[in-house]
Amino acid sequence: MSAGLTGGVGAFVEWRRVAAVLAMAAPPLLALPLFVSEFTAHVLAISAYYVILAASWNMLAGFTGQFSLAQHGFAALGAYTSGLLVYHLQTPLWVSIPGGVLTTALGGLLLGLLVLKMRTIYLSIATWAFAETLRITLSAAYEFTRGDLGLSVPSLYGHVRPVVYYYTFLAVAALCLLFIHVMLKSPIGYFMRAVRDDPMRAQSLAVDITRVKLFAFVASSAMAGLGGALYAHYVLTLTPSIVDFSEMARIIVMVVIGGLGSFIAPIIGAPPVYALNTWLAAWGEWSMVAFAAIVIGLMRAYPAGLAGLISAVWGRRRSGKSFL
Amino acid sequence: MSGPLLEAEGVTKRFGGLVANDAVTITVAPGEVRGLIGPNGAGKTTFVNMLTGFETLDAGSIRLGGAALTGLPANQIAARGLVRTFQVARVFSNMSVRENLLIPFLAAGSPGGVREGQAKAADLLATGTLEHLAEEPASVLSGGQRMLLQACAGFMIPAVRLYVLDEPFAGINPVVKDALIALIEHENKSNGRAFLIVSHEMAIVRRLCPRVTVMIQGRVAAEGTLDEVARRPEVVQAYLGSAAA
Repeated sequence: MSAGLTGGVGAFVEWRRVAAVLAMAAPPLLALPLFVSEFTAHVLAISAYYVILAASWNMLAGFTGQFSLAQHGFAALGAYTSGLLVYHLQTPLWVSIPGGVLTTALGGLLLGLLVLKMRTIYLSIATWAFAETLRITLSAAYEFTRGDLGLSVPSLYGHVRPVVYYYTFLAVAALCLLFIHVMLKSPIGYFMRAVRDDPMRAQSLAVDITRVKLFAFVASSAMAGLGGALYAHYVLTLTPSIVDFSEMARIIVMVVIGGLGSFIAPIIGAPPVYALNTWLAAWGEWSMVAFAAIVIGLMRAYPAGLAGLISAVWGRRRSGKSFL
Repeated sequence: MSGPLLEAEGVTKRFGGLVANDAVTITVAPGEVRGLIGPNGAGKTTFVNMLTGFETLDAGSIRLGGAALTGLPANQIAARGLVRTFQVARVFSNMSVRENLLIPFLAAGSPGGVREGQAKAADLLATGTLEHLAEEPASVLSGGQRMLLQACAGFMIPAVRLYVLDEPFAGINPVVKDALIALIEHENKSNGRAFLIVSHEMAIVRRLCPRVTVMIQGRVAAEGTLDEVARRPEVVQAYLGSAAA
């Protein structure tokens, strides 16, 4: 039944709407760095990087219901694969970066196969263990990875002017979001949401849930790997700390604040959360407390995240009715 | 096709010491509407689970239109035309009613047939009187409407030859019940689909099913018209207890 999985790609995409949204969003996003400081441009570049990670995780957790805790691990795997290829084999970046994407795609397939029969908290714990194993390996195999000393990697363009990297991450984020949108508006996207809602029912209605889950794992891992590989050649030094659980927590917070399982969640969740993180960093350890308080407050008021807030306000304006 | 549609032979399932299905043999002809009745715990749902690939067989075999189904995963069994519903209605709660109907159509391998699927879904929504709810998420449906949507979804698989409905009439209001009965009769008469209906609602079973199979304690105890099997002492005893026998 292979036709069921790959057939009709993009069947439900309204290309006019996609073009209209792109045409509306592009000018302000492209003009933005012209009006800000270099530091702000850097924050924007990293925000766009987190949009990629958040979007990839939202595809897996929000749309397919696979609450994996290994997304930061795949970003790191992409980053280290590209970095190590350059460091040990002097590979050019146009080989090492696709190498990172390929490795993460295979890693996603492997992890997907391992957790295929697991659900909910069991899947979360197993994927978290996978990421921890990766972190410890990167640290322990220091003769190969340089461990906590840090792995030096070359920059993407021979310089690190933030504005150029902002455009790079922005373009990749846009491509990833477009890919996810097309998938969601295809039969495979319907199957992903069906697997999230009720895998047993999906199977009883001829959906090959094994292949749907594996597709989600491979695609989302490859996306995170691509983001990570590009990130490596911007920050220039890699340490195992990029697989700290706080990184995963940050991705989750971004998506959940945006609205888990909502397409725009990563777009409206990641930049404010990263900006807030950066701004609060001045308070040192206390910044986490302030951050947590804001997250809890927002979740208490709007469990569906910013996307829920927006659609509630939008719905009230359109229908004139009050919202719950 | 002149032979039987479904041939379940010697189907056996043990759970520890309990024999839930003991050499169950049931044959259903093409286009037949068969009732499957029996007291609670007789093993009806276990049998349905094995038929549709949700439970493995300890012994026996299952064939549909002459082709073996034993050991196939549930999604492939459904795609080949043996489809089921669940006793507690299962729908995709966060997806619209229309999307709920499109999923089986897209999954059962109709490449590029999106338009055909949309038209078919529209037909079913009209027959099932769910039209006004088409764009609503399935989570807003009442219990009876969920049951109806669940049943409609199975008809979206183009190849459906045998539709197994597990207690489709339990706890739903009379209006929805009538809609579901009309749908079954329509799909049977116009499209020649066969049904195996597990139910405790004897009035509906009498109306829909010319023949019924009675399961008691994991075995097939009787087969015939409802009135025939209702006179059998072992059936009466299983339903009413030995004092009445």
